[in-house]
Amino acid sequence: MIRTIDVIHYAYKQAPWRIQRQWISGFLLIIMGLTMIAALYLDVSAHAAITGRDIQNLNAEINQVQLSNANLESQIASSMSNSTMEARALALDYQPIQSNQVQFIIVPGYVPPAPVSLVSAPSLQPSVLSVQPEYTQSLLDWFNQQLRAPISITMTGASQ
Amino acid sequence: MRAQYAWRSSVLAGVLAFVGFAIVFQIVRIQTSPEANTFRLWAAQSAETIQTYYPERGLIYDRDGHLLAGNKTVYEIGVDLKNIKDKQAIANAVGSELGLNPNNLYNLMANPPSNLNYLVLANYVDADKALALEQLKKNTDAQTLSGQQSKLSGLQFTPHPERNYPEGSLASNVIGFVSREGRGYFGIEEKYNDVLAGAPIQMKVPVDPNKAADIPQVPNGTNLILTLNRDLQAATEQILDASLTKYGAQGGTIVVMDPRNGEILAMASTPRMDLNQFWNYQSIYHNASDFNPAVSMPYEPGSVMKIMTMAAALDDNTVKPSTTFLDTGIFLIGGVTIHNWNDQAWGLQNMLGCIQNSLNVCMAWVASQMGSKNFYAYMNRFGIGHLTGIDLADEAAGRLKVPGDSDWYPADLGTNAFGQGVAATPIQVMMAASAIANHGRMVTPHVLYAMVRDGRQFNVPAQYSGSPISASTAQTLDQMLATSIENEASQAIVPGYRIAGKTGTAQIPIDGGYDPTNTNASFIGWGPIDDPRFMIYVWLQKPTTSIWGSETAAPVFAQVTKKVILLLDIPPDNIRNQVAMP
Repeated sequence: MIRTIDVIHYAYKQAPWRIQRQWISGFLLIIMGLTMIAALYLDVSAHAAITGRDIQNLNAEINQVQLSNANLESQIASSMSNSTMEARALALDYQPIQSNQVQFIIVPGYVPPAPVSLVSAPSLQPSVLSVQPEYTQSLLDWFNQQLRAPISITMTGASQ
Repeated sequence: MRAQYAWRSSVLAGVLAFVGFAIVFQIVRIQTSPEANTFRLWAAQSAETIQTYYPERGLIYDRDGHLLAGNKTVYEIGVDLKNIKDKQAIANAVGSELGLNPNNLYNLMANPPSNLNYLVLANYVDADKALALEQLKKNTDAQTLSGQQSKLSGLQFTPHPERNYPEGSLASNVIGFVSREGRGYFGIEEKYNDVLAGAPIQMKVPVDPNKAADIPQVPNGTNLILTLNRDLQAATEQILDASLTKYGAQGGTIVVMDPRNGEILAMASTPRMDLNQFWNYQSIYHNASDFNPAVSMPYEPGSVMKIMTMAAALDDNTVKPSTTFLDTGIFLIGGVTIHNWNDQAWGLQNMLGCIQNSLNVCMAWVASQMGSKNFYAYMNRFGIGHLTGIDLADEAAGRLKVPGDSDWYPADLGTNAFGQGVAATPIQVMMAASAIANHGRMVTPHVLYAMVRDGRQFNVPAQYSGSPISASTAQTLDQMLATSIENEASQAIVPGYRIAGKTGTAQIPIDGGYDPTNTNASFIGWGPIDDPRFMIYVWLQKPTTSIWGSETAAPVFAQVTKKVILLLDIPPDNIRNQVAMP
C-alpha cells in the first residue's frame, strides 16, 4: 500500500530540472521587466534631454535673432537719419521749402496726422508655469511625486 | 556530463555575481571615498555656468516713430581657461584683429586671477572685427586634424547689445547717454533709466538640459516715444548754430513747446555731443548744467519776466490796460533808483506802452503798486523759483528771493519786476507764460509722449500746474503782447500769423555787480494767438553784433516760427478762419 502511494507521489512530483527551469524563467521574467522599465526610463530621459537641449538652443537662437533685429533697426535708422536724408535730398537737387512758397488749401474732411502708435501684438513669452509637469518630469520625478503626494482616502458605501 | 554542466554553470554564475558585486562595491566605495567631495564639487561646477544676460534697453523714438536711441550688437571676446591649447596663438590672433598688444593678452592668460575659468580679453568689440576673428577661428578649427584641439580653442564670442544713437548729436541734450555699465546719464536716459532698464544681469544657469525651463527670461526695457519732432529738432539746431555765428553769441538755447499740453517739440542747445562717443563728455562740457541749459541753467532772463509782472498786476486789478503812468525815467524803490533800458524818460504811458517799450521804471512802479506780498504770491503761482517737473534729469529750480529771505531787500521788488535779481530757466519762463497762451491754465512741460510695453502703448496725458491768472486776464495780456509786437514792427513778426511775444535783454551778474558789456538776449513768443500751437523761447548768450534781444533773439524767433508752421502744417490766420467758419 505504502509502495503504491510512493509511486503515485513520485509520478506527480515535478522533475528537479523542471523546477530549476521554472526558477530561471521567473528570474528572466523579472530581469526582462526591469530591463523594459530601464529602457523606457532611458528613452524618456533621452527624449527629455534632447528636448531640453533643443530648448536651450532655441533660447540662444531667440537671443541671437533679437540682437540681430535690434542691430538691423539701428542700421536702418542710421541710413534714414535726418542728416543722411537731407544730404541725399540735396544731392538729388531738392531744395528746402520756404514758408512763403507754401500754399495752403482747404480740404474738407482732412485729418492732420497724429503722433505715431507703436501698438503691436504682444510678444509671446514662454511661460514655465504653462508647461504641464508630464512634459518636464522624469520617471523618477514622477515616482517621487507619487510617494510624496498626500494620501487621500475616499469613503464609499451606503449610509442611512 | 550533467555534473560537469552544473559545475560550469556555477562557475559562470559566480563570476557574473562577482563582477556585479564588484561594480556595486566600487560605486559605493567611490561615493564614500575621501575624494567623493572633490568629485561632487567638480559635478556642481559643471552643472551650472555663470552667464551674463544683457536685456535689450528700451528704444527711444520721436513722435513720428523715428528711432533716436537703439541698440547695436557688439561682442565680448573671452577665453575658456580650461580649454586653451595655445595661449600665444590666441594672443596673436586677438591682438592683430583688435589692435591690442599680444604680450599683454598673453600675460593676462598666463596669470589669470585665481578661481577663474573664463577670462574676458576684450569687450564692446564692433561686430565686423569680432566676426572677422570668429571666422579666423573657424578656419583654424577646420584645418585642425580631427580629434585634436585647435590652436584657437577656448576662444569664445558672446554677442550683446550696446546703446546706439542713429542721429548722432541730434537732440543730444534731451536724450542723454548710457555708459557701458548700462547707466543713463542726463536727459531722458537718466530720468527714465529704471523704465528703460537693461542692466546686465549675471546669474547661474543650469547646464542640465532637463532644467532648460530654469533658463531665466530677462524682460527687455520699455520703449519710449518722445514728444520731440525730429525734423523740427534738426531745423531748430541748424537755426541755432547759424544764429550763434551770425550774432557772435557764445552759446544758445531754443525751445519749442505746444502751449496747449506742454509737449516739447524741439529743444536745441549748444554745445552738443555725438552720443555714440559719450566718452568725450568731459572735453565738451565743463559743468553738468551745460549739458542742457534749457532746464539746468538758470539765468536772469530780463524783460521777458515783464509778462508775468503785467499778468499779475492785471489779474490783481492793480492796473488795467488803459491805466496811465508818467515815466520820468527814474523810479526809487528800496533806496535803489531804477532806470529804463535807454536811460530815457518816456513820458505818459499806458500799460500797453509800458510793455511795448519794455519800460523798467513802469514795471517797477506796477510791482510797487501790487505790494511785495501780492507780487511774490503771483510769482510763486507762476512757478518761478520752483521746479517745473519736466521729465528730464538735472532740472534746476532757479532762485526767487522773497521777503523774509536773508538776502532779500525791498529794492528786489522793483528789479524782479523786470527780470533782474531773479534766476529762472527757459523752461520755467515757458511754463509760466503758458498760462497766458492757454487761457490762464499753466501746463507742465514734458518730453515723454508714450511708453510702449508688451505691444501696448500708454500715452502720457497733459498735466496742468494750476491757473495763476484768470482766462480774461490771459486774453487781455495776449492781445496786449500781440499789439505791442505789431506796433513796434518787431523782427519777430511772421507775415500771416498773429503772434504774441516779448523780448528780453538782461545784464549778466558778475562778482560785485553786472557785466558792463555782455548781455543775455531772449525772446519768448507764441501763436497763433487765437489757437496757440507753438511757444518758442530763444536765448542767445552774450551776442556781440548787438546786445539787444530785439535785434538778435527776435529775428531768430521768426526763423524758427517759419520752420514750425511748415513742419507742423499751421496755415495762416486767414485760411484757418475760413476753416473755422461753417
